[in-house]
Amino acid sequence: MRKDVYSSVKIIFRIFILRSKGSIGVINELLLQFAQYLEAQEYSQMLVSGYYSWNWLEATHVLTLMISIGSLFIIDFRMLGWVLPGVSATTIADRLHKPMIIGFSIMFITGILLVYAKPVENVQSLWFRIKMILLVLAFINAWVFNSRMRAADGTWDSARVAPKPLRTGAIISLFLWCGVVAMGRFIPYDWVDCPKVSNTALLWASGCVEQLNAL
Amino acid sequence: MNNSKWDDRTIAAASSSVIILGALLYYWVGEVQSTVELLELAYGSFKFFNNPMVF
Amino acid sequence: MLGNFLNNYKSVVGLGFVVLAVALVEFFEVRAAVYPGLLPFFEWLKYSSWIGYLGITYGSVYATVQAVHLVSMAIIGGTVLVADLRLLGILLKDIPSETITKGTHQCFKYSLSAAIATGIFCAAGVADKVYYMPVFWIKMLALLAGSCFMFFIKQPLLNSRPHKEIGPWMLRMLAVASISIWFTVAATGRWIGFS
Repeated sequence: MRKDVYSSVKIIFRIFILRSKGSIGVINELLLQFAQYLEAQEYSQMLVSGYYSWNWLEATHVLTLMISIGSLFIIDFRMLGWVLPGVSATTIADRLHKPMIIGFSIMFITGILLVYAKPVENVQSLWFRIKMILLVLAFINAWVFNSRMRAADGTWDSARVAPKPLRTGAIISLFLWCGVVAMGRFIPYDWVDCPKVSNTALLWASGCVEQLNAL
Repeated sequence: MNNSKWDDRTIAAASSSVIILGALLYYWVGEVQSTVELLELAYGSFKFFNNPMVF
Repeated sequence: MLGNFLNNYKSVVGLGFVVLAVALVEFFEVRAAVYPGLLPFFEWLKYSSWIGYLGITYGSVYATVQAVHLVSMAIIGGTVLVADLRLLGILLKDIPSETITKGTHQCFKYSLSAAIATGIFCAAGVADKVYYMPVFWIKMLALLAGSCFMFFIKQPLLNSRPHKEIGPWMLRMLAVASISIWFTVAATGRWIGFS
């Protein structure tokens, strides 16, 4: 029974890949062309070839984690009752919102510049693509979480742990952001770089247009 | 006289903070200086990028 | 009388001994004498220990541990910033600073433990490289200083009495020293990655 379910899922997945290959293939090609256009630009080359520019950009991006994700994790930990249990949860969330936004703004700007400096490498990186998907999911989760927090009555504020929907949102947030950090850490590694991969699904997922066309 | 204001822990905290801040200032000023020197060595003047427009 | 003095000024005497020890170590060039003797340990760490073996053989494991190290660093940064910005009177001003410093300390301890454990693993994988890097030794010194400052100086003082009695400038100096030292640990750690 399990084998049948597994083979059915594999067939359905293959059909999906074949059907969407056309449209996703087009998106991959457009992304690669755009990345190659960016890479040819003077400022992109300046960022990469500068003596310290790339290092400072990446260092700022990584060090700002302490402000952005540090604040976010404190809020999530409070929802789970792991930190500052005697303090009102909505107060913590409200007060740490500004430093969190400042941190994320800096990370967003430095992140865009990092992609601008090495566009082809990032666009064809499986880890970068997964990171972007996780980022989108994390922001959706944050939006849902904020809406739930505003809609919820303030009576649970002084409680040690938040109500279950908010706790679930906090746990999802922790997993998604840990995933974002991990994927960001994997980007410099070349395990699944286009020249090293022969698996069609991986080539398709990473947007390795030239290797896919050669197959 | 307020005896509790400058007790053991306060004096230790004040001294160690001064030592730490002094040491860090010495280290980071040194780093900035060596960075500027390296950039001047690399580019002939202090600039962040290898900017062909400046040449 | 000396006993009384030592009893009443334990922290100051301890700090004095540490400063004296550091001065003597530098004066008698003990550091330069001990440094070559550490190389066999670092080589053992990379090539013979199981953590070094795991780090060299399985790049994905190494990268995952590095990611955990980064997350721990982010949590350390978060707890330090929340507590110290409160001491500086910038953040969470309507909540007593005693509550904030006590409430974040447990989280700080766990994340520091995780950062140290993952940091040992990360260093083991490149032990023969980091041995020769001055920035690595600066980071270790800053980590030691920061940890000792936090556990033996700052937190005992903050837990000893209400913060109103300590004085605002003392609190600000503690906060600035704490933020500076942990920023140095993070920044030098990042620079190891570039070297």
